[in-house]
Parts: sequence; C-alpha cells; structure tokens
Amino acid sequence: MAAFTAVGQADRFGSLLSKKRTGMKTTRCWTLLDCSVLVLLSLASMLHCAKADGKTLVLLDNLNIKDTHSIFFRSLADRGFDLAFKTADDPSLSLIKYGQFLYDHLIIFAPSVEDFGGNINLETITSFIDGGGNVLVAASSDIGDPLRELGSECGIEFDEEKTAVIDHHNYDVSDPGEHTLIVADPENLLKAATIVGKPTGKPVLFKGVGMVADPDNPLVLDILTGSSTSYSYFPDRPISQYPHAVGKNTLLIAGLQARNNARVVFSGSLDFFSDAFFNSAVQKARPGSQRHEQTGNMELAMSLSRWVFKEAGVLRVGAVTHHPVGETAPPAAYTVTDLVEYSIVIEMLSEGRWVPFDGDDIQLEFVRIDPFVRTYLKKNGGKYSVQFKLPDVYGVFQFKVDYNRLGYTHLYSSTQVSVRPLQHTQYERFIPSAFPYYASAFSMMTGLFIFSVVFLHMREKEKSD
Amino acid sequence: KHNLCFYWSLCVTVKTVLKIYMFSAATIIKLCRKVDVFSIITKLDVYPGLMVTAGLIHYILNLLHVTVHIRDVCVFLAPVFSGLTAISTYLLTRELWNQGAGLLAACFIAIVPGYISRSVAGSFDNEGIAIFALQFTYYLWVKSVKTGSVFWTIGCCLSYFYMVSAWGGYVFIINLIPLHVFALLLMQRYSRRVYIAYSTFYIVGLILSMQVPFVGFQPIRTSEHMAAAGVFALLQAYAFLQYLKDRLTRQEFQTLFFLGISLAACIVFLTVIYLTYTGRAHKLQPVCVFLLSRLHSYAKIHIPIIASVSEHQPTTWVSFFFDLHILVCTFPAGLWFCIKNINDERVFVALYAISAVYFAGVMVRLMLTLTPVVCMLSAVAFSSVFEHYMGDDTKREKPPEKAEEGLGPNIKSIVTMLMLMLLMMFAVHCTWVTSNAYSSPSVVLASYNHDGTRNILDDFREAYYWLRQNTDEHARVMSWWDYGYQIAGMANRTTLVDNNTWNNSHIALVGKAMSSNESAAYEIMRSLDVDYVLIIFGGVIGYSGDDINKFLWMVRIAEGEHPKDIRESDYFTPQGEFRVDKAGSPTLLNCLMYKMSYYRFGEITPPGFDRTRNAEIGNKDIKFKHLEEAFTSEHWLVRIYKVKRLENREALDHKLRSVVSRQKYTSKKVSVFPLRRDGFSCSLSFMMLSTTYSCDPHTHLR
Repeated sequence: MAAFTAVGQADRFGSLLSKKRTGMKTTRCWTLLDCSVLVLLSLASMLHCAKADGKTLVLLDNLNIKDTHSIFFRSLADRGFDLAFKTADDPSLSLIKYGQFLYDHLIIFAPSVEDFGGNINLETITSFIDGGGNVLVAASSDIGDPLRELGSECGIEFDEEKTAVIDHHNYDVSDPGEHTLIVADPENLLKAATIVGKPTGKPVLFKGVGMVADPDNPLVLDILTGSSTSYSYFPDRPISQYPHAVGKNTLLIAGLQARNNARVVFSGSLDFFSDAFFNSAVQKARPGSQRHEQTGNMELAMSLSRWVFKEAGVLRVGAVTHHPVGETAPPAAYTVTDLVEYSIVIEMLSEGRWVPFDGDDIQLEFVRIDPFVRTYLKKNGGKYSVQFKLPDVYGVFQFKVDYNRLGYTHLYSSTQVSVRPLQHTQYERFIPSAFPYYASAFSMMTGLFIFSVVFLHMREKEKSD
Repeated sequence: KHNLCFYWSLCVTVKTVLKIYMFSAATIIKLCRKVDVFSIITKLDVYPGLMVTAGLIHYILNLLHVTVHIRDVCVFLAPVFSGLTAISTYLLTRELWNQGAGLLAACFIAIVPGYISRSVAGSFDNEGIAIFALQFTYYLWVKSVKTGSVFWTIGCCLSYFYMVSAWGGYVFIINLIPLHVFALLLMQRYSRRVYIAYSTFYIVGLILSMQVPFVGFQPIRTSEHMAAAGVFALLQAYAFLQYLKDRLTRQEFQTLFFLGISLAACIVFLTVIYLTYTGRAHKLQPVCVFLLSRLHSYAKIHIPIIASVSEHQPTTWVSFFFDLHILVCTFPAGLWFCIKNINDERVFVALYAISAVYFAGVMVRLMLTLTPVVCMLSAVAFSSVFEHYMGDDTKREKPPEKAEEGLGPNIKSIVTMLMLMLLMMFAVHCTWVTSNAYSSPSVVLASYNHDGTRNILDDFREAYYWLRQNTDEHARVMSWWDYGYQIAGMANRTTLVDNNTWNNSHIALVGKAMSSNESAAYEIMRSLDVDYVLIIFGGVIGYSGDDINKFLWMVRIAEGEHPKDIRESDYFTPQGEFRVDKAGSPTLLNCLMYKMSYYRFGEITPPGFDRTRNAEIGNKDIKFKHLEEAFTSEHWLVRIYKVKRLENREALDHKLRSVVSRQKYTSKKVSVFPLRRDGFSCSLSFMMLSTTYSCDPHTHLR
C-alpha cells in the first residue's frame, strides 16, 4: 500500500526533475540559481568570451605608451584582439552604452590618471567587472586615486603615490641608485602554469608601486610577490614609519578572479610591459650573480594577458548524464543502493577551440546537505565518468561537481535527483534464514487442516454412537 | 468449492481496498503539492486508516453514482464520524448504566468542546476517526466481557485493528484493556468470560495490529505493549492454576504451586542476567514495572522537539473547564456511582476515567481521550439524579417504608430545575466555544475593538501570496517547521522542514541557523541553499504565538544536536530570565532570529516597544550583512528576508596594515597622545597601542 504512495510522490518529483532537465541542467555561472534563463545568459556570455577577437579598450596616459609598449600590444593584436587606444582623459570615452558593454576587455595603462574621461569612472569599471568584463591594470609610482580605489574594490591596496618597491639585495645592475629597479626571482611567481606560463627560470624586471592584499580574501591571487628583503616606501625619504608592505607580503603583480569568473590583473609596474624591459638584459647587482640576456617579462606578460583575457584556463561543462548501470536513461527516482553511472563532459578553451579538459583531480559529490559520496572522476574518452553505489539513505540528493582550481574558471555543476527507498515488491521474497519460520507456518496450516478434518469426523462418530 | 469462492471473494475485497487506498493516498498527496526537501517518498510512516476510510467512502459513493470529490469527502469525514462516536458512546454507556444515561452521554459528546475541536468540518485528522474507533472498541470489549462470547471479542479485535490503523493512541487501548483484566484478577473477579475475551482479544488483536505497516513489529518489541503480554501470561497462569485447583488435592496443589513459583523465579532471574549481560536490560525493565510502562510511553515528552508542540504542554485548569465545562465537575459523581455499584464493566470505566484524567493532565492533546469518559460518567451522574428526583412517584409508592418521604415535590422540582439550568448553561457554553474557538480558520486572526467591531488580520495570507507571486518557482524558504505546510500549500514554495518532518537533525539545523549569529547562520543557510527566510513576529500587534516566544524551543532543539555550538544558558540573563530588552543576553540580542524579528523595529512608535513581551527591545541598531528585508506584512506579523548571494568581488572595507609585532607593548614610554604624523596612518606607537587593545577587529596582524 504505502509503496504506491511512494511511487506517486516519486512521479511528482520525477516530473519536476524532467521539467528542469528540459531546460539547462547544469550551470557554470557563479550563482547557484536554477533559473535556466540565467544559465543561458551566462552561457551566451561565455561563448562570447570564447572568441579571442574580443573588443578591447586600451586607456593610456598618453599615446606615447602605445609605442613604448608596442611589443605587448602587437602580440595582442596578432592574437586577434581588436584594440581601441584612447587616452584616459578622452572626453568621448564610454564603456557602457544603453546597458550594453561596448568592450569585452579593458586595459588601463594609465597610472597617473586623476579622473577618467567620458562616462568611465569607478562605478562603470566595477559594474564592467561584475558584468563579466576582464581588466588589466598597470600602475606605477605615479599612481592616481582612481586606480587605488579600483584596487580596493577588488580587495587590493596600493601603496601611496610616490612610493616604490625597494629591495637593497635584489636590484638590477643598471639601477641608478634608489634600488627600485627590482629583479624578481621566478620562484616568487605563483605556482600556476595557466596564469604565469611554463617556468622559464628567467628573472623579471620590475619598477613600480607595491600592493598588499587581505590574506583572508579567497579571490585574490598573489601572482608575483617581492622577495623577503623587499619593502615599499618613498625612495627619497628616510624611513620614519612602518612601511606599507614588507617582505613577501609586498605584491608586485596581483590577480583577481571574481565569482562570475571575470578576471582582473593589477601590475604595480607599467614598465613591466614595456619594450625596454622585454628586451633588456638582467643581472642582479650582487657580485657573482648570473647575467641573463633577456628578462622573463615578455613570457610572463604574454601568459598573464592570455589568462586575464580568458584565452587560458577557461573550463566549461558539457553534457551531464547519469543513469543506473546497465540502463541508458535516468529513472524518475533512483532507489537506495542503486549502482549509478555519472558522467560529465568538461571542456577547456585552447587556441579558441573547446577541447576535452585533462585533469586527474576532479571530484564528484553526492550531496544531501553533507556529501554522502565523494569520489574521483576518471577520464574515459572525451568525458569523465564514475560508477558508484548510492547510499542507503533516501531523500533529495544532488550530483555535484565543484572544481575550483588555481588559474581555472570556477566549474560548477549540480543535478538534482531523488532517491527513494525500496518498494515493498523489491524486497527479497524468500530469505534462507527464515525457512524454519516458513516451515512452522506451513506445518501449522496443514496441522490445523488435518485437525479440523479429524475433529469434524470424530464428532459425527460420537453422535452416531 | 464454497471455500474457494469465499477465498476468491476475500482476495477481491482486499485488492479493492488496496486500490482504494492507493488512489486516495495519491490524490491526497497530490492535494499538497510541495513537501519539504528531505522527506520525500516514504509514506510508510503514516497511519493509513484515515486515508483508507476517506478513499473507501469516496469509492462507494462513486460506485453508487453519487459523484463527489475526494476533497469533499475529506472535509465532511470528521462530522460524520462524530455522529458515529455519539452512537458508540450511547451504546457503551448503555452497557455500563442504562439507556437514559446513554442518551445523555450521546448528547454530551455531540456538543462538548473537547471533541468538537476535532470533529468540525474540515478537520481531516487521525483523531477525528480514532475517537470513534476508541469508543466502539471499548463498547465491544465491555460487551465481550459481559457475554464471554468470541463473536463480540472478534468484533472488538476488528475495531481495535481499525483503531491501530488510524491513530497512535491505540496504545491507550492495548494498555487499558490489560489493566482492566489485571484489576479484575486482583479483585477476585476472574471468570471464564474474562478469560475467553482477553485471550481472544490479545492474540487476534496482536496479529491484526501487526498488519499495519507503520506499526509492524512494535507490538512484540516495544515496552508500551509489554503490559498486554504480561497480563496475557498472567491470565494463562491463573487459569491454569484454577484448572489444577479443581483437579488436585490441596497438598498436591501447594507443592506444585511452590515448585512452579520457584521455577518461574529462576527463569526470570536467568533471563535478567542474560539480558543484562547482553546489554538489553532496558527492554525488560518495563515488563517488570507494569504501570510504569504507561508512563514510559509518554516520557517521550522530554525530547525537546516533541515537547515543543503546544499541544504537548501540560494542561491548565482553565482548559479543563473550557473544554468540558460542567462535566468536569459532575463526572467524579458519576465515577462514585459506578464504584458504589461495582461490576466488571464498571471497573473498566473507572480505570478508563482515572488513567484518562492522568494523561489529560500530562498534555493538552490527551484531553481528547478524557472527553468521552467524562461525558459518559457525567451522563451517569445526571441520569441517576434525574432518576432519583424526576422518577415517577407512582412507582415509588410500592416501597413506602423507604425514607424518601422527606423529598417533597418542591425539592424535587427545585433540584430538577437546577440540573436543567446547569445543562442549559453547558449547552450555551458549548455553542459559544464552538463558534469562537473552533470555527475560525487559524490562518486569519480576528481581534475585537472596544466598541465590538471586528478587525481581521490577514497577514499570513498576504505574506504567502507575496511569496507565491514574487519569488522564483524553485526558491527555498527557511522557516520554523510550524509554517512548513502553510508555505508549501499556500505559497507553493519548497520548505526545508515542515510539519511532517521526522528527522530531528534537519529541524535542529534550522534551529541552529535561527539561533546563531548572522555570519554563522549564513554558512548554514548557504549549505542548505536557502533563498528566503520567513519568520512570524507578533511584537507590533501583541500576537503571542510568534517565533520569539517559540525561540527557546529552537535553541533547545538545536542544542540537542549541536551542543558545542548552541547552549541554552547563553540565551538567558545571568539571573536566568529570557529577556529581549537591554538586560537580555548578548547572544540573544545578536542571534539571527532576534535580528530578523526586530529589524527596523526601533523606527516605529513607540520606539521599539514590543507589545507581546511588554518590553523595549535591547538592540535597536540592527544591520544585516548577508540578508535583506524582502517583505513585511501589514501588521508586521510575517517578515520575509532574502538571503544574499556571495559578493562577486570582495572589496576592502578597511585599511590593510601589516604590523609585525604581536607582543603586547605596555611600555610607559609610549605617550598617551601620539606624535602627529602625516597621512592616514597613525604613528607606529599608536598602532601598537591599538593592537594591544585590539580596537579594530579587522586589523590584520601578521
């Protein structure tokens, strides 16, 4: 009886489920909303980002920078970016028109700007980030207030104007004497190849302002930190108070991947991207240090731009399927202790094309408030799949893949299913251990039958007697 | 061949009933579209009687081409069954006393507020049909004890089976009947009739009750049923002894008796040792303590979640009078009449009355089991009085020597008038209670002004309608479980816990979220994917059933599951009071429930004065970080908050400084007035000072 009720309910849940299935089942946006409209929107924006030929607005202090940083800009243009160069105080500047973003990416190479021109200001830039746009910011010791405010909106604090990162142990031989032309060791780079590229071993030249970030902020990445002997202060003043940033806390390059996967990179040095730094030789001023013919700036800048403009480290969820082993379609509701196969297609953007992602640490969770099952997904052809036994607990569960790795976009997929207990017809009909009881029941029945026959006949005899 | 036919027809009947049950269950469950997210599917955990009854009536009516909707059947089920209850009460009282008392009892049960509360149209509740089953089972039991016929006993068993399938209160029957038998044995009233009745009842009733899926093997496992088993064994032993007594000489009998007693003692002793050794002694305990087993079953009220239900609170004297009125005064008289003229069935009703009074005192809900016996005994009392004072004088002429000469016609008429007056007042009271307390929907509140005009507070429906219209279809609403069904039914949104949530830990989790501070609650709410939080707040209009008044229960339930995070004592003042004003404990003033209830409450006039608790609130400056107010109903009765998503970026809300030193600087060299330095940053020394006293909790020390 009761089992039928169960089916009735399960059906209801099943219909709810299939309704959802007709829409988009998985989301890769940062919200956990089930709303399929949002999913479609986010997917649409993803597809948009996937094209490398994004429109990019480049804001410069002056147009000279276009020439002094020509290698960097040329490489971007070669990779298909549509660059629009403007001075930062150009009165015709505009990022948003009629609620639409005019650009996909924004490069701000205008450290000293005091006020952006046109309708660009802090609010438009932050809403650009919140709308999914990517921003590359380069500052210098002449940092102006708008960039400092933008930094603190993203969880990064720039040091004051006229300060610079100083390192008396790791400065370049060509440094004029303030020890602000720093040679940053590649060991201080973040250990994430998607962001900083493959290790080249070449040191990086840096001259500019330092940053600090809140260590509790989970979104900010310390891409390049200073060495333990570096600090950030006014190079021309005696030190009278505690420096803003000291040692490894001094961030030279910081990144942010927001929860909507928008990416922002802050570099404390504009010169870092310059042709001069790209091509110069580098040697620490310490006696006996090795001389490198070329700095690692170019490789690092290329990798950073690849990452920040979503050419690298972009993942997406493809088809998600789940079904009992031996079947092909998911049931309206799983039964407890079913053997289930779950598979998910995960793709990565590479050279403008979506290719299967290759990772060995992707986990699947089967969650009802707490994960009841947590297991690794194995790569199996173009997709990841795993077989596992459902827990002996019924309720509404979710298959959850929550893949959050350094340098990659946040990959999230959840699929809701219901798990019901056994129907009463699904229990074993005869249990071997119960055979004594069966025997006793049946012997009782036959005994009663024989007894009643005997009883009835005995009575008749008595009567006849 | 005849047997085969019979068997076949039995099969068909069973199948039909099954089909009806399935149909009705599916329909009824369809009626409430969304349930809470955890308790899907198993409806093994309901008593099927109610659904089967409604489904059967619907099926039969449709078979007869009386087309009614199952909903209408459900609505009118309780009134129909209250009629049946009146009939069975009449029958039972007739067996106990006489026909006149039976008629009076039927009249009483028909209008008494204690039963009207469960039998108004629309109360589709287990209790509605269970009281009928209870009374009818007792009637058949009394009948079978009286006649000693297996026929009546089998009828009693079937009725008991129906009761088991309808309500958990069947344990009352399975304990009261053995108690009756036990009392009869003690009173030397053993007879073959009792033996036949009880042996048949116990065996057949046991087997039948185990057929109900939800009950299953409980009757042979749990302590509530052990009393019945014990009495069964005792009765067999007693009967066996009686049999031996007839067959053996006195000497032989005594030897055998002592042998048997010592053997039994040995067996019991060894069993106890065995069970203690295997750690199962607790199962044995209630067997030994016969009466305690009854208490044991209601000791469950010490579990906070069960105790938190208002129906499970101890009954107040007021509610005795409110629900029973004059009957509560007259029923001891009826009980006295019964005890004075004792016989087998009056022993039963006396036990019934005494145990029901006890249980009604334990919790309000069990007032329901007291009501029928009070009606019966009051009817006995009234009937005796009327018989005495209103009886035909001509009949009494025959024994004229009796000392009833003193009762003149005046006294007779005065007493009769008084009695009739009492009955009239009882009828008036019943009508008043029914119209005022049990006829209005609890979801719409009514209040009366000084001039008698009525105010309707429709805040609940307003809020549920808002939820229905303005939130996402798949939004999850967190609220205390009391409102689960209402949110599911009226707002059509998914809830976390509802009135049928059996899993204590889910409720405890919601309780923990409500009683934690905002950031801890936010973690819980995010892990539960909560979109909205709904609370009931009565501070503006003085509605006492709001969430702050229930709050201590949430704390207790949460403490039961998470004793490390939530402690009830934190929510009291050092003096042990639960106060919402300035003297209240800081934990209370900062917990989520308090903040949600009193958010912006300081802005209304008089500022922050809570009319329910007659206090000015202690925390008027409430700000939310992770929540935002989404809706507040007209009289602030329902407040709904939206749970914000995580921010896209985490902006800095304070200056980051890296101060290396963690050691305390209490040096006297540090000047109290720091030297003036430029810029934002205070002097180093001052920074040290501030870290010492940790003025700014956000200052990050590295």
